[in-house]
Amino acid sequence: MSMTQQQADGAIPVMALDRIVLMANQIGDFFAPYPPERRAEGIRNHLRTYWDPRMREELLALIEQGGGAGLAPHVMEGAKLLREETHAKPGYYGPPKA
Amino acid sequence: MPNPLKPEKSVVTTCAYCGVGCGFKAETRGGKIVRMTPWKEGKANHGHSCIKGRFAYDYYNAPDRVRTPLIRASIDDPWTPVSWDEAFAYAAKEFKRIQAKYGVKSVGAVSSSRCTNEEIFLTQKFARAVLGNNNIDNCARICHSPTQFGLTNTVGAGAASQHFDSILQADVIMVVGANPTEGHPVFGSLMKRRIRQGAKLIVIDPRKTETVESAHCKADVHLAIRPGTNVAILDSIAHVVVREKLYNEEFVRARCEVNEFENWKALVGSDNYAPEVIGPLAGVDPDDIRKAARIYASGPNSAIYYGLGVTEHSQGSTGVMCLGNLGLSCGMLGREGVGVNPLRGQGNVQGGSCLGSWPHVFSGYRFVTDYETRSSFEAEWGVPLDAEPGLRLPNMLDAAVAGSFKGMYIMGEDPVQSDPNQHHVIAAMRNMECVVLHDLFLNETSKYAHIFFPGSSSLEKDGTFTNAERRVSRVRKVIEPLAGLEDWQITVKLMNAMGYNVNYTSAGEVLDEIARLSPNYRGISFALVDRIGSAQWPCNEDAPEGTEVLHREKFPRANGLGTFMLTEYVPTAERTNDKYPLLLTTGRILSQYNVGTQTRRTPNSMWHSEDVLEINEQDSISRGVKDGDWVKVSSRFGEIEVRARISERVNPGVVYTTFHHAKSKANAVTSDLSDWATNCPEYKVTAVDVVRTNGPAADAARDAATPRIAEMEPAE
Repeated sequence: MSMTQQQADGAIPVMALDRIVLMANQIGDFFAPYPPERRAEGIRNHLRTYWDPRMREELLALIEQGGGAGLAPHVMEGAKLLREETHAKPGYYGPPKA
Repeated sequence: MPNPLKPEKSVVTTCAYCGVGCGFKAETRGGKIVRMTPWKEGKANHGHSCIKGRFAYDYYNAPDRVRTPLIRASIDDPWTPVSWDEAFAYAAKEFKRIQAKYGVKSVGAVSSSRCTNEEIFLTQKFARAVLGNNNIDNCARICHSPTQFGLTNTVGAGAASQHFDSILQADVIMVVGANPTEGHPVFGSLMKRRIRQGAKLIVIDPRKTETVESAHCKADVHLAIRPGTNVAILDSIAHVVVREKLYNEEFVRARCEVNEFENWKALVGSDNYAPEVIGPLAGVDPDDIRKAARIYASGPNSAIYYGLGVTEHSQGSTGVMCLGNLGLSCGMLGREGVGVNPLRGQGNVQGGSCLGSWPHVFSGYRFVTDYETRSSFEAEWGVPLDAEPGLRLPNMLDAAVAGSFKGMYIMGEDPVQSDPNQHHVIAAMRNMECVVLHDLFLNETSKYAHIFFPGSSSLEKDGTFTNAERRVSRVRKVIEPLAGLEDWQITVKLMNAMGYNVNYTSAGEVLDEIARLSPNYRGISFALVDRIGSAQWPCNEDAPEGTEVLHREKFPRANGLGTFMLTEYVPTAERTNDKYPLLLTTGRILSQYNVGTQTRRTPNSMWHSEDVLEINEQDSISRGVKDGDWVKVSSRFGEIEVRARISERVNPGVVYTTFHHAKSKANAVTSDLSDWATNCPEYKVTAVDVVRTNGPAADAARDAATPRIAEMEPAE
């Protein structure tokens, strides 16, 4: 927990930002053919289930403080759902629900 | 005269090479292995074997086998031999120091598919319960992690749907990105037997492999696609299935989510995936795409077998989903003779996947984020566990380069040789303050390690392996461990040194703990496997001796139905251009095994003494390259020098090499792009150029004078 906090406070980023942007956009490419709501949830769920929280924070910091430079718009939409508790589905795995 | 090879003792065990997992009788005399005889009762191999399992066992006794723990303060220092206790104490002190300075999450662990289920399980326990984080991964990350992801998302279980013998009921065999006659030879022979009996064969592979055409084996259709176009070609096959209504509507209505089927039909049925569009893009005849689709869909029993040619791509998981979608749409799941089956590279990749050496799931593929699952592990292990996913192996390396990751316990892996973009991996290794390497030999990674635990080969320890058909078989101790401890004991003692109190009197007790915590393994124990020979998971109250064919009644998803994923083709960012006009793809050969740690130390190297670059005649002429010339292969990531072999196996525009020899450093050129879902590296597609050279200067004189057999000795 404390480590997550430290990272969020802007110590050393967990990894280079260009890797984070590349990986996030790749996830976005996969979910692109889904309708908008499912697409956003799919991206959100994937990040929530598979990404270390420090990686998610680095992505969100880019969106919230850096305007999301380099990210596809639908990736930003999906990532922003990570901030909303209503989308929390612990342990959710798999395709975006219909 | 008495026969000096006459064995005194024979122990039944499981081969440690590929995912077939053949049963062998290991025969000894005077405490040394004198012979490996294929076991007739072995349910995976029925008494057959290949030249790796049969002959390549001497590595265990190679002169450079390390028999004493080693430590050093800096990677520039020489190694100091120490006692086991000193080595454990030093490792524990270092991990604790690093965690105190850089945080709980600044260290992690990696396990290997060359290790037993018990060892893989203990390594995740070490990371989660002792290091206190989920930075735990295993080498399936770089081979079959997309299988787990892609199959779980479509059919609900990230494992082969069939047992090997099921292929004897298949009418159509579709092999995608795999070469069973070289990579999985005993299964390859079974496949050939069925082909001799008249089964049709479809092969999708950039290379004209032995599976495409060799004795007893000739493909009815070979789609020699350009590397990186798997998803396009599989979607195009699906397009034909949809447009010509070749799908099995009855199966889909009874067993699948119908609305998702309709969504999938709309996507793959669109004009974008017509064979006339995809054929030119993938470099194949559109009529061959139609032919493949019609043969597959008409069955009546069609079985898919696939390998790393599907998974090791930036769309690896999508490619696996395409296969799941295809199997479901044509009703080719849930009985003998059909199915979607990954051919696993290493002996225990399936076990590596099942036993929780992942940053996001515990054993049994249950999420660390799930409160109830986590609570059951916390109750068994007596410590609170991290509720968030950890770093994957490529993430750990990225984090090490960035400076946020400082220490690693590596069990039976050689990331410097086997992971992509070698320069990046070395930069990561150099940035870490404590790398603990647990292996048989001082491999490439050992150059960057601070502590070395000398491990035990699979002939020197007890445990179980899970093969590519989900079959759990016993690994039995044939001889005493050369360095004194079995691998699982080493991990337990490291846990103890870190202050975590746990004790097992045998590997069987670890398996019992696995059974308590993993639903599919609930019925598995040493006693059961000793009694019936082997058992395929799921093995539980409903299936006390295991399960041969999955998905007979329903799919293991919440609603019991199979589902379809939308598999849009996204070309990889790794593209050819004027500077790098060729596509390099990589693979394996029959007599050698992966990075060669084991086989290179045996006389098997006489059959394959170096990695060569296969190049089509057209590309070789335009570059002035003759057969046997040294060539430099360069990519955006690095360059290597190997000899060229003019070959009709590869099409113009494509070159191919193996990666068995450390000296050829094939992964110095491979790209560090990875699968969108799992970060499985895209080994199979790298844009390169090839130019003729005079060869490595240092090697030139030796090559003139020394026969190649001299290189049989351990590498570096």
